[in-house]
Amino acid sequence: MTVWHLDPEAIRRYSRGVAPPGLAASAEAHLMKCAACRGAISSYVDLRRVEAIWHEVADRVDAPRRGRPERLLVRLGVGEATARLVAATPTLRGPWLLAVAVVLALAAWAAQVDERFLRMFLVLAPLGPLAGVLVAFAGGLDPTREIGLAAPYSGLRLLLIRTAAVMAVTVPIVAAAGLALPGSSWPAVAWLLPTAGLTCAALALTARMAPVVAVGVVATAWVLVTAPTAIAGRLDPVFDGGAQIVWLAVAVGAGTWLAATRNTVTLKLGRSA
Amino acid sequence: MTTVRVHGATKSFGRTRALDSVDLEAGLGVTGLLGPNGAGKTTLLRIIATVLAPDRGTVSLLGRDPSRPDDRTRIRERLGYLPQDAGFHRGFTVFEFIDYVAILKQMTDRRARHDEVRRVIALTGLATVSAKRIRALSGGMRRRVGLAQAMLGDPDLLVLDEPTVGLDPEQRLRFREMISQAGEGRTVVLSSHQTEDINALCTRIAVIHQGRARFTGTPTELTARAEGRVWTDTQRSPAALAAWRTGDGAYRNVGEPPAGAELIPPTLEDAYLLLMGEPELEATRS
Repeated sequence: MTVWHLDPEAIRRYSRGVAPPGLAASAEAHLMKCAACRGAISSYVDLRRVEAIWHEVADRVDAPRRGRPERLLVRLGVGEATARLVAATPTLRGPWLLAVAVVLALAAWAAQVDERFLRMFLVLAPLGPLAGVLVAFAGGLDPTREIGLAAPYSGLRLLLIRTAAVMAVTVPIVAAAGLALPGSSWPAVAWLLPTAGLTCAALALTARMAPVVAVGVVATAWVLVTAPTAIAGRLDPVFDGGAQIVWLAVAVGAGTWLAATRNTVTLKLGRSA
Repeated sequence: MTTVRVHGATKSFGRTRALDSVDLEAGLGVTGLLGPNGAGKTTLLRIIATVLAPDRGTVSLLGRDPSRPDDRTRIRERLGYLPQDAGFHRGFTVFEFIDYVAILKQMTDRRARHDEVRRVIALTGLATVSAKRIRALSGGMRRRVGLAQAMLGDPDLLVLDEPTVGLDPEQRLRFREMISQAGEGRTVVLSSHQTEDINALCTRIAVIHQGRARFTGTPTELTARAEGRVWTDTQRSPAALAAWRTGDGAYRNVGEPPAGAELIPPTLEDAYLLLMGEPELEATRS
């Protein structure tokens, strides 16, 4: 049976959350057994603080456990709301990622069999991430597209979040395929700046057209320019040092323009208002 | 108070004119759009949900102009929308999905957002399945998930496209109850091709057919248009626009009754049939 009670000073410090750990632990153990002290402490307790603590406990217990990708993103420092938005990106589904990986693996394998196919890998490499961005906004593939359109969340912000997520996943896949290429290491990285330039150009175009159309326009232009030169065996004008600087300039220019117009641009998500 | 004003709304997709100069006004309570499939109801609701902009005409929602970006964002903050083909991220649980939509509705504080998610889950009777994956739910339960996400933030304007489609009779009754409650103190605009749902829920209706508003008024006013044009007979009447055998074996005929016909009180469905059939009747007469 409990024969001692918490003194008023201990009660005051514990109830305000300023008791040292030893005293707090001792007080907690005692309060579990002593109705008199529980009664005494009740007049000291800040009800708003108790409510906030209880609310947090209830929320932690009640909210379902996040999925694995969300948990990983939160662990990497991504905000929990952004992690949920990323988890809902259609491109980040297994089948799409597998399709991109298979196409690029085949291109890398073909390049090993016949070096002429090396050029086709360079044509295909930027299309993987671009296709991912396109899929992220394709009406038929985003089941909540209409609900999203009627929500106040910034379309441009959602576009950037999804694009970043797609890039973070598809670029390593392309890079892994690039490492399997024969010969010098230059083709394994030569596609990076063109990919950045094309993606930023597509994002900048979304001020004028739907993201799906913008990506389609950029990808088509890329294929029309590079496919004939690849077949002719002359890809240097698109990938050499000078071209890399141009791609960097395109990426920086489009990114700067997007940042400067972020508050005035209305994103056209398909047939949106 | 009128919260939805659509005037002369016209919308085409390629060569197809989905809406042709439609006017609609809606205030507090439930307003229903009635019409056959492909009539233009969904296009009109998408315009009211700010998902589509009309090619011509003016729209005012909650006193704001949705063609202005700032106004559109303010409208969307006070809007709930259940699309006809509401899709879900099937890997999400009910809670996760509604939480995802809450994020899109810019509810940034996690605890307040979770409280709101729990509120709409309880409101729509989903508490027992909130931790279940959406792919494991029945069609009726998924429809409830759709309604729950639309109710997030206690919106002033609720737009529901065919909310009762695909539901069994019991589920439809439950849904009617929920929508009826939702219509207390806010504006609800819904579409249906089920006259029973419209009759049970709506204080005002607009009948949309081939992209045009063929009737706007109360269900009682529409029903009154069929007064004297419904009769029973022992056989299908050649003068009837529509006729069907009822449970007691008699034929219920709707159209222009012959002299001496035994007239009976019309229903909303009779009036709707007459309204839909009028062009054909006129064509037959001419």
